[in-house]
Amino acid sequence: MLPLQSNLVARRLIASALPSLPPAPLPSRREVHLWYIVPNEIKDASLFQEYMEILSPCEKEHVLSMKGELHKKCALLSRVLVRTTLSRYTDCKISPRSFKFMKNRFGKPEIVWEHNKFGLLPSLQFNISHTSSLVACGITVDAPIGIDIEEKQRRPVTNILSLARRYFSPNEVQYLNSFVDPEIQKIEFLKLWTLKEAYVKALGKGFSGSPFKDFTIRFERSKDLLLTSEKSKIGELRIAIETVSDPESVATNWRFALVELHGSHFAAICIERDEEAPAIEQELLKLKVWKTLPFVEDECVSDTDAVTNICGLS
Amino acid sequence: MASLARTTISFSARPAQSLKVTKEFFGSKTVSFSTRKSFSAGRLRSDPSRFQINCAAKAETLEKVVKIVKEQLALPEDAAITGESKFVDLGADSLDTVEIVMGLEEAFCISVEEENAQSIVTVQDAADLIEKLCEEK
Repeated sequence: MLPLQSNLVARRLIASALPSLPPAPLPSRREVHLWYIVPNEIKDASLFQEYMEILSPCEKEHVLSMKGELHKKCALLSRVLVRTTLSRYTDCKISPRSFKFMKNRFGKPEIVWEHNKFGLLPSLQFNISHTSSLVACGITVDAPIGIDIEEKQRRPVTNILSLARRYFSPNEVQYLNSFVDPEIQKIEFLKLWTLKEAYVKALGKGFSGSPFKDFTIRFERSKDLLLTSEKSKIGELRIAIETVSDPESVATNWRFALVELHGSHFAAICIERDEEAPAIEQELLKLKVWKTLPFVEDECVSDTDAVTNICGLS
Repeated sequence: MASLARTTISFSARPAQSLKVTKEFFGSKTVSFSTRKSFSAGRLRSDPSRFQINCAAKAETLEKVVKIVKEQLALPEDAAITGESKFVDLGADSLDTVEIVMGLEEAFCISVEEENAQSIVTVQDAADLIEKLCEEK
């Protein structure tokens, strides 16, 4: 796709109604689609004006109440990303502006599917996460999903072990303690943090509904011969989760993946396992990733440097 | 002096009423306090200074909370943060929030339960919770 000058397109957008988005084929049951925007790449302020028009009055108010241009931008782009992404998966029959959202009793955002004339709509699940430099949205069909992203170069955590002792499980504290190099310890901390956040967001019960202390996330080598690399005979690295109160019970109904995104972020994804899929297919996630500037440019970056598997992906 | 003494007695006899008065002046912070400071009799000192501490302490707590929040979120010194500022509007993500809570626990020597932490929306909420936990100590 030819890269367009964003200011040229922005002027065209103002002159006419917003162009329709290219529809996207639905993800299969164990597939996750991830869309992201890089706020710093938007140079034309007039594009933001157009984007504001897609939001609901409530969302506009929320954006304007944020302190500072950067936070306003990220709040705006979060809503734009959710609305435009969902629209793509309805074959663009539902416009970005038309979606309505509500929060479940724990505060997790959900789509309100109104009685419509378009027939059967896919059971889309979504989750958003953003930092000041990236906004991401994960989509599945049917499977509850949680995602969390963090900047690799995030400002340092004041005292990682203190925080871990307070909020993480004992096994995780032990794991973090095993790293002597503070830089590596920080990286491992961020990996655990994003994975734990993604799980809690997938569960949808809020921070106090699934306290971080009650479960352990750990990295392990798969002993499954089918997942063993031919060359190295080492099993695939994968992510397991177990409850602290009953370590023998490994929670097998959730799948995790951890990737490095855009060279700058860790992105953790957690989805509920598809019970009906064949056993081998249940092990690893399939992920497709697009970088987007809605209404301007979409780029599939799945097989590029922009997405690096750390673990969990097939 | 006699009338002053009478004022003193009635003053300490009805502390609740005086508290109400003090709260109304909270916005301007110093008006009533500086007046009271001029009373020098010993018996007078305990009551007004207690009220002085209560309200000055509240302002001091808020100031300390704002300082910790600015540090954690790497905001400039002159960033306009007030009691009404919502954490989410300041760009605090979940990790920031956890670190801020830990910073507050350390600074004020308190322990914040998860459920209480969840109910904090504004900076003033945090300051109020701290005040409550400090009083309970």
